[in-house]
Amino acid sequence: MSKLEIAPVKKLLAVFAHPDDESFICGGTLAKYASEGVEITLVSATRGEMGRRMGNPPYLNRESMAAARELELKQACESLGIQHLHFFDIRDKTVEFIEEDILISRIEEFIRDLNPEVVLTFHEKLGGHPDHCAIGKATTAAFRRVAGNDKALYFITFGEEMKRPERFGYSRSDVFKIDVRAHLEAKLASFRAHRCQTEIDEWVWLPDHEALQRFGGHEYFLRGNTGAIARDLHDLFLSAPG
Amino acid sequence: MRAFVGADVYIHSEATSFVFVRNFKVKVTDALIAGEGPFRVALRFDGHGWLRMEALTHYETDEKGRLLLAGYDDRGRMNVALHLGKEPFPE
Repeated sequence: MSKLEIAPVKKLLAVFAHPDDESFICGGTLAKYASEGVEITLVSATRGEMGRRMGNPPYLNRESMAAARELELKQACESLGIQHLHFFDIRDKTVEFIEEDILISRIEEFIRDLNPEVVLTFHEKLGGHPDHCAIGKATTAAFRRVAGNDKALYFITFGEEMKRPERFGYSRSDVFKIDVRAHLEAKLASFRAHRCQTEIDEWVWLPDHEALQRFGGHEYFLRGNTGAIARDLHDLFLSAPG
Repeated sequence: MRAFVGADVYIHSEATSFVFVRNFKVKVTDALIAGEGPFRVALRFDGHGWLRMEALTHYETDEKGRLLLAGYDDRGRMNVALHLGKEPFPE
């Protein structure tokens, strides 16, 4: 047997609700891990086809939106380095009304097939939008059914709200803080890929050096299972033993 | 809109921040438009039905012959939409 060992590829599965969740909320972190060779799979429950922003000035209508946002998401995935993209084909704004067992089973299948070390989703209470909470709840249930404690589940969080986790009933040891300062260009490119959603935000389209100043240097994640307990709070993956 | 009068029509109607209904099927008996922009639109259907919407600013007929009316604000955000088609819209 050869003594040369090739380190197995690390894998991350993200299960979100709408195109743009991956970019707007945690794009820096996804770009960082992609750049380190992590294989990233993104599942988007919907195509965001019931969104309110139709371009500025508007060039989309309700019937053309799904295809447009799918294409935008593919471009954003390229910007961030996400290799695999899947949709659950659920209509936007209806995730909480889909039969939950079926949804959980579909996510379970992904976790089983991929066997990712890290799963990201929304917190079922702190997710904000009902679609976020619903996909977060189903993903959490699927993770608890099939993933062992050598795997880690994290909830994505908004902006810098988890700088003070006490306000949400969590402590600092529950919060992972990822340094994304080296990956803000990729994050900005992903914002611009989601053109119909960001055209309304003038700052996104300022010259790069100005637009980049709007991003925080860190993204925050909430621990979702005990498997993540002993980990370095600045890395979502368990560091390889020295 | 006249092209839909007398026909069985599938309707998508929404007030974007609050409600949408998709693919309810009615027989349209009258189609009425008022205002000078934004516009108000009313449909009468099935002998006793009303659907009235306001704040419509744009219209187009797509390649499938569907009539797509929508109301946008001054930054491209949708407030309302009213779509009429002779076939069901994708679920």
